[in-house]
Amino acid sequence: MATRTDSETQTELHQLRARVAQLERELVEQAERTERIVAAAQRRTYWLDRWHLDLDALMRRRMLALPLDTGFRGARKLRHLLQRVQRRLGRGS
Amino acid sequence: MTRVSVVIPVKDGERYLVELLDALAREGADEVLAIDSGSQDRSLEIARAAPGVELLEIAPGEFGHGRTRNLGAERTSGELICFLTQDATPVSGWLDALRAGFALDARVGAVFGPHLPRADTSPMIARELEQFFAGFAGPDGGPALHRTGDEPFLSNVNAAYRRDCWEQIRFRDVPYAEDQAFGRDLLAAGWLKAYHPGAAVRHAHDYGAVEFMRRYFDEYRGLRATTGHVEAFSPLRALRTVRAETAADLRWMRERGAGAGERARWAARAGVHHSGRRVFSALGSRAERLPAGVRTRLSLERRGDGDGASVAAAVPPPAGRPMPPYGADAYADAARVLRDGPVPLLDPVPGAAERERLRLALVVPPWRRGSGGHNTLFQLLSRLERRGHVCSVWICDPHGETASRRAAVLRAEINDWFAPFEGPVYKGFDDWHGADVAIATGWQTVHPTLLLDGCRARAYVVNDHEPEFFPTSTEYRLAEDSYRHGMHCIAASPWLRDLVAQRYGASADAFQLGVDHAVYAPRPDVARRRDTVVYYARHSTDRRAVPVGLMALAELHRRRPRTRIVLFGTDRPPRTAFPYEHCDVLSPPQLAALYAEATVGLCLSLTNFSLMPKEMLACGLPCVELAGVSAESIFGGDGGPLALAPLDPVALADAMERLLDDDAEWERRSRDAIAFVASHTWDVATDEVEAGLRHALATAGARAGSATT
Repeated sequence: MATRTDSETQTELHQLRARVAQLERELVEQAERTERIVAAAQRRTYWLDRWHLDLDALMRRRMLALPLDTGFRGARKLRHLLQRVQRRLGRGS
Repeated sequence: MTRVSVVIPVKDGERYLVELLDALAREGADEVLAIDSGSQDRSLEIARAAPGVELLEIAPGEFGHGRTRNLGAERTSGELICFLTQDATPVSGWLDALRAGFALDARVGAVFGPHLPRADTSPMIARELEQFFAGFAGPDGGPALHRTGDEPFLSNVNAAYRRDCWEQIRFRDVPYAEDQAFGRDLLAAGWLKAYHPGAAVRHAHDYGAVEFMRRYFDEYRGLRATTGHVEAFSPLRALRTVRAETAADLRWMRERGAGAGERARWAARAGVHHSGRRVFSALGSRAERLPAGVRTRLSLERRGDGDGASVAAAVPPPAGRPMPPYGADAYADAARVLRDGPVPLLDPVPGAAERERLRLALVVPPWRRGSGGHNTLFQLLSRLERRGHVCSVWICDPHGETASRRAAVLRAEINDWFAPFEGPVYKGFDDWHGADVAIATGWQTVHPTLLLDGCRARAYVVNDHEPEFFPTSTEYRLAEDSYRHGMHCIAASPWLRDLVAQRYGASADAFQLGVDHAVYAPRPDVARRRDTVVYYARHSTDRRAVPVGLMALAELHRRRPRTRIVLFGTDRPPRTAFPYEHCDVLSPPQLAALYAEATVGLCLSLTNFSLMPKEMLACGLPCVELAGVSAESIFGGDGGPLALAPLDPVALADAMERLLDDDAEWERRSRDAIAFVASHTWDVATDEVEAGLRHALATAGARAGSATT
């Protein structure tokens, strides 16, 4: 059976260390992405959490969900419509 | 196979007794003993007719929940003794599951299982049973072991005991809740108990609404007798609870396909049920205040005065107050660490300590606005984050101080009150996902941090010698213990570093508290007065030696009655023997303006040197501090720009008077102060803390290396 030279062992050790370092970097990057997502969610939900509002629970109530959803969607459509009109008027002038 | 005896106390239990005995025959119980205490229905006949069932008759007056069960255990011989009530029918696989519960660990002294609702059980009770027992299961919904510090709940509706354990503990002769008392005694004696979801019984509680209320009266009366528990009651909170519980019942019914009509029918009943429960549980735990006749009428079991006497006789000897300032959960983590040791660290990774970016998890106690210790921590964390480390904050709050603030709100508080922070904030450790370094930041965070898994290293940012915050007490001892678990300490002064290293044998580095020079700096726009002493008189913090400071100021006032004295740092003005101006708790810019105007600052610390004198110095304000504590480790033996004086009102007054009288001395110290503190920045402090964290990683790696060789 062929024995490995010191040089081969050193090379393999070097490669393994490089691989570990790379995996560690990937782990940090993955952790960073995860923490960033959680932090962003906490930023977005600040006012809901401050007022102790649980939108999921609220929207599960059919009596509220339909008018709220319809109202918000209607408002959004109206806003888009106004923006479109504004753009056309802007082009026309 | 382990021999199993089953004991069933019986009184007028004919309704379910046949199916119960049939189920036991099916399950293969080795021995069944029914103890009848005066049944008037067919119970005796049923028990006599059942094959393999031994019947023991006792007089009704001899019955006692603990006493009769002890009798049953004495009259049987199985290594496992199961207790069932006459209305609890084991489901298929019950006995195997009980045996499996005992097989989880040789120290398991008792196993209990869930109570399933029967078909005619009300939705209120069915939901409560389902949710209540789900809480005892393991994370996967399977069996779970309960240890000291866990919920001591046990129920003799359906529980089994290892005979060795029962012989050691035995049921107390109490009128009610003997099982709960046993659960507590068992855990205290070092046994474990196990919950097995497969060891289930169908159990009926088909009482009417009024009977339910009377039953709650009895239950809470028993709890008061055995545990001293008094159910809190406030009408407003009761209304809120009833509303929430009723809504939860209706939601639960809807999830199980109940139609609107059925839900409407149950809504009123649920409201009555939960209202009655609130009222009667409160009444039950205050039964001794009710007239004897009322007590008897309210009790479902008709327990009156005679029993009242036995209740008093059954009260166990007082065990002292179990919850001084810090609650049971905090002690539970400490108990686990003391019993099982810290959770092992991950295997070291070569070069981890030198890696550019680390995953850092800061474990902090809850904060208040203006908390100096938290300011230090978040100033450091903010800068560590800016250097590329992936940082998160974990709030360790066993007492629920932040219960009304959600994580997003707490995160905003860090940014608004302390320092910019981009990372996430977690309440508790349910979402814990490991870290390169988990960083404890106060004695009460150390034991929980030691129980966190997935860590490469643990470090302890030590802001002060916290045992000195307490008189001789559990907190004092636990705070001392926090330095003894091999966590690498990063101490907020060389004095503190040397103390934890020498007294507790901890490995330790030091960092110097930084100063925010953008805020605390000389203010050419503010005229310096020559007659003003400002004093940090936070008398709620004992280590500030405020009585001594006030005595020193009284002495100064006696010598120089025209000197203006300003106290700040507390919203409650202290009573003094001299006139002064009071400034409450001030914001950093307000403090900087006050320091810029004043002539002498006085700030005392009986433990570690704090940030405040440095901030005074940064504003060019000479400051008097205590000699012989910790300041010399930062400013040198002579105190450098600080005027040091012993803990003596006269000596402190002397030091202040010198600064007020001697303009040249004042000028020199003011100049030296600005120059000395200039290098004390948060960036430098962050350099030192970062080096300490890397040292913690390297130390952990080296320890693991030496352990494997």
